[in-house]
Amino acid sequence: MVVTYIIAKVLKVSTELSMFAAALTGGLAGGVGIPARHIVEGAFTYLDIILIFITATLFMNILKESGGVAFVVRGILKKFFRRKSILFVLISLLLLLPGALTGAGSVTVLITGGMIAVVLGYMGISKPKTAAIIFILAGMSAAAPPVSLWAMLTAAGVNMPYVGFFLPLLIPCLFLSLITIFILGSRGKPVNLEKALKELPEAPQKMNWIRVSLPFLVFLFLVLAGRIWPHSLPVVGLPMMFMAAAFISLLLSPVKINFLKISRDTVHQLLPLIGTLTCVGILVQIMTLTGVRGLIAITTVTLPLVAVFITLCLVLPVSEAVLMWGAAPVLGVPLVLLFNTIGLNPIIALAGMSVIWPLGDALPPTAIIGRLTADTVGMKEPYSELLKYCIIPAVIIMAVGTLMVIFSKKLAFFTLL
Amino acid sequence: MSWLYLRKFTLIALGLVLMVFAGVSFFESRHLKEPVVLSRGVTQVKKLSAYFPGVKGTISDSNIYVLEGAKPGGTILILGGTHPEEPGSRLTTWILTENAVADQGRVFVINSANRSATTVTRLGGGYPPDFTIHTKWGEQKFRMGDRWSNPLDQWPDPEAYIHYPSRQELAYVDIRNLNRAFPGRANGTLTEKTCYALIQLIQKEKVDIVIDLHEAELQYPVISTIVAHEKGQNLAAMASMMISGTEGFSIGMEYSPPALHGLSHREIGDHTQAISLLLEAPEPFLDATRGRTDRRLLLEGKDEFVVKAGKHGLLFEKMDENGWPIEVRVGRHCSTILQILELWSEENPEKSVIVKGVPRYAEVIEKGIGNFLHDPAKADPKRVYYE
Amino acid sequence: MIITILYYVLTAYIAFLIVWNLLKRKKWQEEILYIIILMPFLLRLFRLK
Repeated sequence: MVVTYIIAKVLKVSTELSMFAAALTGGLAGGVGIPARHIVEGAFTYLDIILIFITATLFMNILKESGGVAFVVRGILKKFFRRKSILFVLISLLLLLPGALTGAGSVTVLITGGMIAVVLGYMGISKPKTAAIIFILAGMSAAAPPVSLWAMLTAAGVNMPYVGFFLPLLIPCLFLSLITIFILGSRGKPVNLEKALKELPEAPQKMNWIRVSLPFLVFLFLVLAGRIWPHSLPVVGLPMMFMAAAFISLLLSPVKINFLKISRDTVHQLLPLIGTLTCVGILVQIMTLTGVRGLIAITTVTLPLVAVFITLCLVLPVSEAVLMWGAAPVLGVPLVLLFNTIGLNPIIALAGMSVIWPLGDALPPTAIIGRLTADTVGMKEPYSELLKYCIIPAVIIMAVGTLMVIFSKKLAFFTLL
Repeated sequence: MSWLYLRKFTLIALGLVLMVFAGVSFFESRHLKEPVVLSRGVTQVKKLSAYFPGVKGTISDSNIYVLEGAKPGGTILILGGTHPEEPGSRLTTWILTENAVADQGRVFVINSANRSATTVTRLGGGYPPDFTIHTKWGEQKFRMGDRWSNPLDQWPDPEAYIHYPSRQELAYVDIRNLNRAFPGRANGTLTEKTCYALIQLIQKEKVDIVIDLHEAELQYPVISTIVAHEKGQNLAAMASMMISGTEGFSIGMEYSPPALHGLSHREIGDHTQAISLLLEAPEPFLDATRGRTDRRLLLEGKDEFVVKAGKHGLLFEKMDENGWPIEVRVGRHCSTILQILELWSEENPEKSVIVKGVPRYAEVIEKGIGNFLHDPAKADPKRVYYE
Repeated sequence: MIITILYYVLTAYIAFLIVWNLLKRKKWQEEILYIIILMPFLLRLFRLK
């Protein structure tokens, strides 16, 4: 599988197709032939997440097309251009909220990432640095409560209720987000308002705060309503919430928008990401079928305990890079059971792991959120630039996460249980 | 230009071939008919919708096999297929419905408590679509299922699942997990409605004990055990002691945690008059460290990676090269059910449930499961039902 | 129920967009990728998986 993947990459085949090729040869080498059922079943793994990607991006593209994004950025700059610190805290909250509510860093990047990137640009922060800030905060937003998919999927895998995670996730996510933006944004200057407003695209005349905020308010209302009155309302699901927001911004747009064209362009824009998700699903399925997944899991959890702690901060991001959320059931479950067996607090340990996991979203082969961020920010520099600026915050995050695991027993009071 | 179209056509054709093969496989496993040849002890076959019309016409309208003794006594309900990826659970109910006869009291058996989940396999799990049990008259094929209801029957999922009525937050996928949706809601999702229907059945039929059959990965601490609601602690503790002394295997006993919501052992006990017990048998097929995922592992329960995990002290149940064959797992369930009934009947003579015809642990291992499955081709067609 | 139907409509719409893009593309790698991502959409639409 690995050899096929490398050969495919050398032959300049895209990452997505290289993974698909690796899955096919994995099946052949594993003696299961080309198992149509398993290939297609694997392709289904992330269907719901793909729907979220498509609908959220469609919503943002409509908003951009209608001039809403330009309007918001101009508004933020006019109000806060002098106060860097307040702007940073505000930006952190704006980036944390979408991912925290939905559990997906991609939603943060897609919803607020683009706008924040423009604001940071006018503070003199380079695009790779901006991308690094947005990527790390998007990761923290995904790990932040109330919805942290890694913690939820692992907890579900070990039949542990998803309770007691709120503070153990919130405190590190908030703290690490602020540290990241203040470190990477330290060279940022207060915005030169006049220059910025001149350069920014003009918003259409009829654009106003109601037109921009109403779709967001509807989205927020649907998310909150589902949580406040979960038993009085039907399950709507994130994709339909985004579609509702998209239709409202389409209706309120002061400029005419070709919905069909923007939909087609959105699907094409997302092709590498959707393709990666689909091919990762196929690869994981074949790895499980042939026993490769088990081999990886057993090798990891049977390392000496000290080695598990030391390598945790590398193993988790790498597993995320290869398997994405699939890393939670593959590695999260055996690791949490291992920690539980040796007397650590599984909630704090899992929270610590959940903070480290999202770092893998910038790493190849998938690099889903990293690539999405680079794309959203409009970074022209090589992708490695983004990774370079992620190093310092990543090291801090890894240290905090690992310490949370090691000292989980002493930190157990955070669970409030 | 023509080359471009030829290439496009070829690629689309290849994609279609893949899709057709997979589609046929999905269709076949969703619609595979599993025969149940009724034991002479089965006096009625009801539908779950008889207790809650909200599931009528849905895939959740499962068969309920009723065994009634000549003498009045207590009532017990046995749930198989709450998690259909745990085949030992469903196979045990097959043995009961095809062999058991009640002398006193009533036994209700459901082979597919979450019937929707029997029609789908886990994404990314590499599960086989079905498995076969050898019998004297040929082979009987069963659907392999999933832990969660089929998205074809319940879609979409929310971004967070808030359990009713506790409001506990659970992983979003668990909104389709029957054993996280008890006590259910009349106007909820299909899975919640199924739970609600089961609760109605328990209340209307004045069920005394509910036994929910499961299997678990060996890396999961709740294994080889009876999980008991407060109301059933003495019964479970006694059963655990008796089994360990007489049946040739050990089974533990655990308390149902009050803070863990949606599970049958917690909510059925809390929301109905019944004692709720949940039985767990070891299934290495579910372990995250398992090697090749195939029918052999499912039925024989042998896996070298899981053995290695055991050697590193990572398992909560012993694991060696003999593995955990399906006969052992089903045999454990059969004996545990019988012990629970015997102890209950001793303690509550007026509510006795006396059942015969069900093999015990040693007999299931000796003769194999297939020995207790009957040939549908030779049976009276009126006595053959399908799951 | 209505929401589930809306999801099938959404799935059909996206499947249509994927097919349209697939027919318009000229790079073989993109074509293969479009075919792979189309599979789950079509099988869900046909209620097979």
